[in-house]
Amino acid sequence: MRSPFLEPNVRYPDRIAFPVARPRRSLFLKYFFTLFVAVVVPLFLGAISDAWFVYRDQRLQLNALLQAEAWSAADRIQTFIDGISDQIGWVVQFPWTEDEDDPHKIDAERLLQQVPAIVSITLVDQTGTERAFVSRLGLNRIGRGVNMAADRAVLGARASQVWYGPVLYRRDSEPYMVIAVAGNRAADGIAIADINLKLIWDVIATIKIGNTGRAFVIDDSGRLIAHPDISLVLRGDSGSTVFNRLKSTIAAANGSAVVTTSDAGNAVVAASVRAANVGWTVIAQQPVSEALASIRATLWRALALVLVGALLAAALAYWLAHRMSEPIRQLEDGVQRIGAGQFDHRVTISSGDELEQLANRFNEMAEELTVSKEKSERINRLKRFLAPQVAELVEQSDERMLEGQRREIVAIFGDLRNFTAFSARAAPDVIMAVLSEYYETVGAVVTRHEATLTGFGGDGVMVLVNAPVARANPALRGVRLAIDMQAAVQSLVVSWSSKGHAIGFGVGIAKGPAIVGTVGYEGRIDYTAVGSVVNLASRLCGTANDGQILLDPVVAEGVKDSIAIEPLGMRLIKGYDHPLQVSAVACSDLRQSHSQKRKAGLPVCGAADEVRRIDGHD
Amino acid sequence: MISPFLRASLALVWVQMRRRDFIALAGGAMTWPRVARAQQPTKVYRIFWVSTEFQPDPFLDGFREGLRERGYVEGKNVVFELHYAAGDPNALRQVISDLKGGNIDLAVSSGPATRAMMAVTDVPVLFALSGDPVELGIVKSIGQPGGNFTGSSFLSLELAGKRVELLKDIFPKLRTLAVISNTNHPGEQSEWRTTRQAAQALGMDPVYVPFFGAREIDKAVEVAGNAHADAMLVFPDAVTMVHRTKLAEFAIAQRLPSMFGWSEYCDAGGLLSYGANQRATYFWLATYADRILHGEKPANLPVERPTKFELAVNLKTARALGVERAISSILFRANKVIE
Repeated sequence: MRSPFLEPNVRYPDRIAFPVARPRRSLFLKYFFTLFVAVVVPLFLGAISDAWFVYRDQRLQLNALLQAEAWSAADRIQTFIDGISDQIGWVVQFPWTEDEDDPHKIDAERLLQQVPAIVSITLVDQTGTERAFVSRLGLNRIGRGVNMAADRAVLGARASQVWYGPVLYRRDSEPYMVIAVAGNRAADGIAIADINLKLIWDVIATIKIGNTGRAFVIDDSGRLIAHPDISLVLRGDSGSTVFNRLKSTIAAANGSAVVTTSDAGNAVVAASVRAANVGWTVIAQQPVSEALASIRATLWRALALVLVGALLAAALAYWLAHRMSEPIRQLEDGVQRIGAGQFDHRVTISSGDELEQLANRFNEMAEELTVSKEKSERINRLKRFLAPQVAELVEQSDERMLEGQRREIVAIFGDLRNFTAFSARAAPDVIMAVLSEYYETVGAVVTRHEATLTGFGGDGVMVLVNAPVARANPALRGVRLAIDMQAAVQSLVVSWSSKGHAIGFGVGIAKGPAIVGTVGYEGRIDYTAVGSVVNLASRLCGTANDGQILLDPVVAEGVKDSIAIEPLGMRLIKGYDHPLQVSAVACSDLRQSHSQKRKAGLPVCGAADEVRRIDGHD
Repeated sequence: MISPFLRASLALVWVQMRRRDFIALAGGAMTWPRVARAQQPTKVYRIFWVSTEFQPDPFLDGFREGLRERGYVEGKNVVFELHYAAGDPNALRQVISDLKGGNIDLAVSSGPATRAMMAVTDVPVLFALSGDPVELGIVKSIGQPGGNFTGSSFLSLELAGKRVELLKDIFPKLRTLAVISNTNHPGEQSEWRTTRQAAQALGMDPVYVPFFGAREIDKAVEVAGNAHADAMLVFPDAVTMVHRTKLAEFAIAQRLPSMFGWSEYCDAGGLLSYGANQRATYFWLATYADRILHGEKPANLPVERPTKFELAVNLKTARALGVERAISSILFRANKVIE
């Protein structure tokens, strides 16, 4: 379909001059961002809180584990020391008598045999005098020896039954300690045993926390007493600063586990417990890498979950946003195309939701726009020869009405008198002004009477009644139209004559069958009627005088009851073999329009001589 | 409510996560260790064994056993180069120069061989010494040796008096004590001095039977036989160890109760011995060998001193000597009884 609408530049030049600005933030991005955030934020919060709680639980668990291990180690050490004290108790069960040293000596030797940690033992009687000294290494001394009543160990054991001496280091390497045990009665004396604490190693080495965690024991000065790696103990006090720091760091945490740097320089989680009877500190520690491994795994899991979730969310958000925005974009594009006149554009959306429905509605709208546009184009075409309201009527009823058909019509011809002579004399602009006024006036009358104006031809005009729209009593309608037309043109004639233009107007009407329909090519299509009735009307118009309306017998017969008619007698019409009864609309019916003419001194109702004169012009 | 513990541990967790897991995440960790392993074939450690004993060597067996316990397989990741100079430390000079030139990871020396090893300064040396290593000058202190030497000291010196006392406990009427001693042994004079003082304190008369090296041992035995002693004390030492059977048989022949330093002498027929378990000590020495082979410095490994001393009694010999009654009084103290 060729149409001026196909040229948007012409039709809507503002499209180019002021293009619709793209929105700054697209719907896609908005949807994408919202959906993404809606998924990721709860996921992230969930993972974080989960990781946090797991972390807290595991931290508490770790704390408890280290505490338990430290307690267990302290307990074992206490048991070890208590065991030695108990064994020493065996040698202070018999009271000392004069010169009865040997049984005591044998007891002491058996004690050494029984308890490997005891290096030597000194037996003191109730007076505080040394009575026997038995050693694994040094020479034994039997019999009364030095008085040890003032010895710390003796005093301590007397005061509290069991006395623990400080840890001393032989040759600055091996840790030793004195344990003094008093018998139940003063007469049983006191046993002072020298203990090699290296043997606690057997106790401490078996304590394992996880795979690499361990426990060790330090004294108040920070000096190592027992450690799974015995060589650290034997190395002397070189590490005591480190252990002291460790001890005070843990002590500062008030019983809970702390993360700190170990003696070996690696990061550890450590807890400590004090062994009450000997006053040592047991530290249980586990490398952070191992202790926090599960926490680390938890955090990684949480992170991985968030990452995977974010990726999924992004994919989902992309898909959804695309699904939402793409149809909208298509619709927008469609609207733009339709706006640009591309009415055959259709939007294809199969989302199965409201958007699809919207697209269908859009397509329907585009369809209706197309139909409506075609219709308006046709109406515009019809309006060229039909009164607008008739055109609408034709459009609304049936277009086939315009197709060629035979029907009874009333043809009305009007023609200016003396126009040829006038046009020969007058200037072109004057001629065009006259014609313009004439056409305007005739057109207005035809429109008012809802008749069909098939066209102007120079100074002539042809009007049809009852085609294409059928009318009741077309003859009367045609005559009334002719009277109005004559009256309207006559008022022009008055003004023209005042300007010195001697122009008149005559009308002829005939009724009869004719072929009506559209004819033409491409854009130039006209509606017209073909038939003798048209010729007859034209001939009658040609014979009509200025101001006269001539009727054929059929019309005259049809309107005689309504309008006064003057028979003019039989006349021979060109192209007809027999003369026809020709009538004219009586002057009384034209009075109104003729009153002005009379004032101007112009002839009314056409004198016979004038008729003859004017005849010549055809 | 974020505690310092939490902050510190979170920071550490983060650091650790960054350090290793990012590598793991990047996929590098999957291939990296494999490459490292491929590039580093199993190292075969070479251990130099220097001894003045002779084979079969129970101490070497103890050491080997200790290494096996630690996962070493001879011929696969450890090889021994054995150098024996039975009873003659001077014969080790050539061995020492070999050691200096060779690509040796660790040297182990026992007893008198250690003195010859003092020239070695660039190879870690493990020793098992009866004397005092500080006195000998191979370590700065027991706790921190400070050089390329570390190992174990058997406390022979401290036990010297104890051996005399044990004899006196069992045989209270003991008067004359023959003391057989190899003068070619570090700390021998100290040992003799301690022994003499103990014997005199216990009312005994010690007869010093010195000899120099393996060549003079027969002469020493002869001298001891002429001493009219009530008992015989033999200092533990490579030469007497090598000739322990000869010495034990001599004591039985002379009807002398004999006291030695290590239980190996009792196995060979000696009546009594008191001292640290040598084999156990060498077994333990393997743990130090393991640590040194893994890169630890001998300077930081304290010299270990045995805590367990065993009293061994050979009842067969006791019966041969007819001293079962006397011996039975100390059986409750015996750690090892040979029937």
